Amino acid sequence: MGRWSEERVVNAAPDASSLTAARKLANPGPWSDTGSNDVLVWGKCQGSGKTPYQVSVDTAAPAYRCSCPSRKFPCKHALALLLLWSRGEAADGGEEAAGFAREWAQQRAERATVRERRQTEQPVDPAAQAKRLADRMALMDAGIEDFARWLTDLVRAGLASARTQPYSWWDGVAARLVDAQLPGLAEQVRAMGSDVHARTDWTDHLLRRAGRWWAVTKAWRMRDTLAPDELADLRVAVGWAVPTADVQGTEALHGPWLVLGAHRSDDGRLQQQRTWLRGPDGTVVVVLDFAAQSEALATPQLAGALLDATVARYPGSGQRRAMFTSPVDPLGMAASLGEGGSISQALEAESGAVAVSPWRDRHPVLLGGVRVCPDGNGWLRDESGDALPLVDAPLESLLALTGGHPVDLFGELEEGSVRPLSAVVNGQVVTP
Amino acid sequence: MTWLTDLRTAALVGTARHPAPPPPLELGVRPPEGLSTEESLLDQAALADAVIRTTRRSTPLDAANLPEPARSDDAPEASGEAARLLDLLLTQPPVGLELRNQLVADWLQLAGSSGRRVPHRLLPLLLSLAGTKPGVAAHLHPAIGTRGSWLQELRAGDSTSEAATETEWAELKSADATAQLEKLRRTDPAAAREQLDMHWDALGARERAAHLATLSINLQTDDEDVLERALDDKAKSVREVAASLLDRLPSSARASRMAGRLSPLVRVKGVLRKQFEIDLPSEPDAAALRDGIPPDPRTGEPDRLGRLDAIVRGAPLDVWTTTAGRSPATTVTLLKGETRVLETLLATAVLRADLDWVRALLDVRTDLRLLKVLPPAEREETLVRHIRTGAPNPFALAAPLRDMPRPWGSSLADAVLEQISAKNGGQLAALLADILPAALPPEAAGHCRRLLEGSDDDAGRRRVLRDAVQYQSFRQSLTEAFQ
Repeated sequence: MGRWSEERVVNAAPDASSLTAARKLANPGPWSDTGSNDVLVWGKCQGSGKTPYQVSVDTAAPAYRCSCPSRKFPCKHALALLLLWSRGEAADGGEEAAGFAREWAQQRAERATVRERRQTEQPVDPAAQAKRLADRMALMDAGIEDFARWLTDLVRAGLASARTQPYSWWDGVAARLVDAQLPGLAEQVRAMGSDVHARTDWTDHLLRRAGRWWAVTKAWRMRDTLAPDELADLRVAVGWAVPTADVQGTEALHGPWLVLGAHRSDDGRLQQQRTWLRGPDGTVVVVLDFAAQSEALATPQLAGALLDATVARYPGSGQRRAMFTSPVDPLGMAASLGEGGSISQALEAESGAVAVSPWRDRHPVLLGGVRVCPDGNGWLRDESGDALPLVDAPLESLLALTGGHPVDLFGELEEGSVRPLSAVVNGQVVTP
Repeated sequence: MTWLTDLRTAALVGTARHPAPPPPLELGVRPPEGLSTEESLLDQAALADAVIRTTRRSTPLDAANLPEPARSDDAPEASGEAARLLDLLLTQPPVGLELRNQLVADWLQLAGSSGRRVPHRLLPLLLSLAGTKPGVAAHLHPAIGTRGSWLQELRAGDSTSEAATETEWAELKSADATAQLEKLRRTDPAAAREQLDMHWDALGARERAAHLATLSINLQTDDEDVLERALDDKAKSVREVAASLLDRLPSSARASRMAGRLSPLVRVKGVLRKQFEIDLPSEPDAAALRDGIPPDPRTGEPDRLGRLDAIVRGAPLDVWTTTAGRSPATTVTLLKGETRVLETLLATAVLRADLDWVRALLDVRTDLRLLKVLPPAEREETLVRHIRTGAPNPFALAAPLRDMPRPWGSSLADAVLEQISAKNGGQLAALLADILPAALPPEAAGHCRRLLEGSDDDAGRRRVLRDAVQYQSFRQSLTEAFQ
């Protein structure tokens, strides 16, 4: 595991104030007994108390431990230590890990092995497992029937009357879906509760969503006739997660993987991070990370980085979700993202993807030679004169980076708009 | 699209009141038999969703909407430490916001003088900051380079604000018209005067007074005609503005009329000719009233001292030197006992920026209003002397110190630091908090550090000194980063 860049440390911070506090501590003054090896960085930081805080960081996982009472992870001490380490100002080498750091690493290793043992050694009881599955299926079936009934009620009363309902009405429906173990649908319904007021095209949006939900209920009833890939896509749509343990061993696709771009979002309850990767054979996958509000997301990968790692894909069709099955080692930066297509090609590809999997509404696109047009929320225009509107785009930043020249740009195509995630400028992949 | 429209209407109203439309047979759809109307509508909604998503087409966009691409930058990008420091200042300033703005301005100046430019990715943040902070905006060029200027033009193009042309000026609201006139007066005084003159008769009394007052910017002898005419105005407020502006023109006809009134009132008496004798003016005649000398009040005693003041303010200062037959400096010493006249003379000398008189008056009076008129070097010297000789009032001292060009000379810096570190210096420190860090020259950093180390429990003072030290050390890193 190589030394982190300062940028990577900055991205690991849970919030801006922790980082500011860490910068103040990031000088050798308060630090003693610092050191690092392949996976650990450790040190003692003199705080306001008598005994210095013991800070250890596992840079591979990454995981953080500090004896300070802060409830932020990583805390300012861990960040400051990493900052110093990334600048090469402290914690340089050190043959033997300090006692407290070694102890912690051992504890972690033990806990991991115990957990693993418990998982592998636990006697599998097929009867109990089958019963659990049957229970879940019954619950989901009932939930889907309930949802279908709600949909018919919705259109019988009319969408206009649905709009007059308070948010708690939508929330109640979503809560019932969660109880029926259909969190994927619940999330969409909850979002609709605010979308009907926030969007000007709410009628069409609600009508089409209702249609899509209706299609989900129908597909669910005939799930026994679906192909495995189709069923997997449907499982994602309703929110029936596949356990990571079931994915881990299935395959090991080797890199180098090129990071096409990444997006972070935060809906107030959950932080999400999507990282789009492309393998040597052109396979595009997306790695999803989630974290609760107070936690830190997994360290983001820089757009344009080449990663040495193996990847396993979740079941499904098209550009599938994937997870890293080995430690991730950056190999260097790519000078380009490859050959980009035109806008009409991108839309055709989207049509194809929708035809295969109608539940998904986000598709990765690599556009070649597009120029940024600053009208309204911004547009992208390719050489043939086709244009797509931008969404969530830092327009100023895009203009500043591209200067109005044609560039290759990677983004997510969503409801006919592009969310730009990275662009290639002067042989460098940059993030707007 | 009529099918979609029908579908939307049915869905909006609800199938209870509006039946679902027939499915679009032309799409080759064969719906199953025996569907309820709700099911049919939902089926069609799902179909519409799939159709729309699979047939999406891009919007053609005219190339004319695209901005002209930016020309390439000639200057090399500031890299490494310099870029990192600017990033830090813009995204996570380690210092207070006032200091941050000053340091960003310093960064831009250093980059400009060493021929480096701002990295493209930092331009949006920088331009946003400059949008609200004129101190930063003033130093954007040349450091932002071609790309920065291009981006600025693009931003300016979004908010079209055209300068009002002459014909429109008459239609502006009076406050806006005054502001417009002030702006024009700064760049082209004669044009502003002509514009006012042209519309004079159409203006109301309040507007005439407000617009006429704008002539105080770049007042010159050419303005005399307009002002002289305004002395005959119907409105008292306009006449007063005109008189006060003419007070500043010692070569005007009104000034010589005032001189005619003043000369008979003053003479030097005594064997040694060491004292002025000043008579009070008599009742004003019509011409004097026109020139702005106050008339008798309806009740009570006339304010004869007030009349004298008006005459002194209006007359050229030469009257005094001619009468005394001596230089301004000596004349001022002869007037020592006449505090009220001296006060009026002081105000007049400051208004007219008469350097000889200002210097002469500074010898007998340490009035900080006089400082503003002096050239910077002399002003600094006088200010230092002033600080060293007495314990000045911090409120009176703060204003001229803020006016001084920065950075200060080291003698002034030392004098101010001594004032600040004195027993009651906390107040002055607080008044100068925002400008002091940038005002102190680099040589003063050591002095600040020593003062900071000395124990002190005045939090405000410590903060100011700490800011100054922080600023100097950050500036030092900036200078090194650009070497």
